[in-house]
Amino acid sequence: MLLEARGITKAFGSFKAVDDASVTLEQGDILGLIGPNGAGKSTFFNCLTGDLKTSSGRVLFEGRDITDFTPELRAELGLARTFQVPQTFEGMTVLENVMIGAFLRSSHRAEAETKARAVLERVGMSRLADSPARSLGTPGRKRLEIARALATEPKVLLLDEAMAGLNAHEVKRAIDLVRDIHRSGITLVIVEHIMEVIMSLASRVMVFHQGKEIARGSPLEVTSNPAVIAAYLGTRAAKAAAGHTPIELMGGPIT
Amino acid sequence: MRRLLWLSVVAAVAIAYPLLLSSPFQQRLGALVLLYAIAASAWNIVGGYAGQISVGHVVFFGCGAYAAMGAYAKFGLSPLFGIPGGIVLAAGLAAVIGVPTLRLSGHYFSMATIAVAETMRLIVTNTDYLGAAVGLSGPTVPRNIFDLSFLSSLPYYYLFLVILAITLLITWWMANSRMGFYLRAIKDSERAARSLGAPASRTKLYAFMLSAALTSVAGALYAMMFGFVDPESGLGILISVKILIMAALGGAGLLFGPLVGAAILVPLEEISNSWLGGKGAGLTFVVYGAIIVLIARFQPGGILSLFKRRAKPNVDKGAGHAP
Repeated sequence: MLLEARGITKAFGSFKAVDDASVTLEQGDILGLIGPNGAGKSTFFNCLTGDLKTSSGRVLFEGRDITDFTPELRAELGLARTFQVPQTFEGMTVLENVMIGAFLRSSHRAEAETKARAVLERVGMSRLADSPARSLGTPGRKRLEIARALATEPKVLLLDEAMAGLNAHEVKRAIDLVRDIHRSGITLVIVEHIMEVIMSLASRVMVFHQGKEIARGSPLEVTSNPAVIAAYLGTRAAKAAAGHTPIELMGGPIT
Repeated sequence: MRRLLWLSVVAAVAIAYPLLLSSPFQQRLGALVLLYAIAASAWNIVGGYAGQISVGHVVFFGCGAYAAMGAYAKFGLSPLFGIPGGIVLAAGLAAVIGVPTLRLSGHYFSMATIAVAETMRLIVTNTDYLGAAVGLSGPTVPRNIFDLSFLSSLPYYYLFLVILAITLLITWWMANSRMGFYLRAIKDSERAARSLGAPASRTKLYAFMLSAALTSVAGALYAMMFGFVDPESGLGILISVKILIMAALGGAGLLFGPLVGAAILVPLEEISNSWLGGKGAGLTFVVYGAIIVLIARFQPGGILSLFKRRAKPNVDKGAGHAP
């Protein structure tokens, strides 16, 4: 077992954003976290990365309890993430942004630069290496987030809506990139709103609603689950919609 | 290559300056520019590169100044021997101040450092051992060369030039190391930097301690040149503000920014002081306030950033194309 969360609860005051959620991640998985807005998936995600402290529950990485580890310690163990709103280092070039990730495994500048260039090549951004990162648009910034995370040589990569704000063509390229990352042996957790991404990438899906896990299974199982449809559309609409394919109900294939 | 050419030109001008413009006023002015450039460059490490705006740096300046004068006044040693003591004191104090305050973000860190600096000034003002409000004096008549007490400003000028070169060398080395990269990343997004494995708290603390140590050297040199230190000249908040404005004016986070800022502000202040005499003391604050407003409004990156436009606008459509 690579990553495991046991009974994670995250409360803000009396409000439980995540209520007793558990998950296990095996080497080679692509786990999708889905749910309506405000369902708690991002909060859960941030508990896994260490950005938020859990109120209760444990997080284990390769059998080791990392619940109290800082984000930088988790990164060192092999947990990398991207941010929903890209956290680009605006004052740096694209290459330097990636070097920050590469510095985790090599303390020398020249070595980090070589590694960073290789990562940029891999994600198809080497042409932009010396451009200032602030000149990138949303698609570039999202891809840069992934490149930076890859440069830390992670075992598990957590992508927080890495495809939000991309057009259809860009989503396709991003999906190809994620597949390529997966093939290279990296286990993935993806939080995503775009159902097509989940359907085509995830090997297992976990559905959140109001802080609780309401379903899990393969993408097809989950999207045909009445509870899931009700969570997205409301109970009455779900009954009325019976007979439609799940993917249409949940936003349909993106166009 | 061009960079190296510029560097040699600047170095040549710096070495030739007091020989070409050799009146006592001009030499003293040159020495003061270098002295403030040292302090501002030291501040730049934590304020510029790491983006942690300390307004309490005068505390470290004071550590150096009091250590240097204390070495003479208390132990009869050359003020030079106070420098290592000042460095240790400043770095230690930075660690004590830094651990709780570097967790604070933005303005709160600045406010905390002001509070520490003012508290320290009040404590020293009321400590008889440190000369209270009168302060400590250095040797009035130099006993030997190690007392570093000269009538002419020329020896100070070259001493300061060497120390400035060392300070800039340390800064340059740091900026090109992993630490420098981490600091710049933390400045832009601490959260992202940490997610990529940068130990933010530790890195900021090291930068703060390094900056404090170098600032204390500037304080020691200042006290040696003037031959005394009192709570106002060694721990007054205006010194912090001066240092900060010089770095910001020239270009915070750029290697030569603080030097450029000092080369503009110190002459400005000296000239306005000699014109206005004693009446101008309050005006200095007004000028500094105006400069802060102007920098914030028109050139937040400082003057040097005007020449740093190497980055051509590059509107990206589609994250580059896959190979």
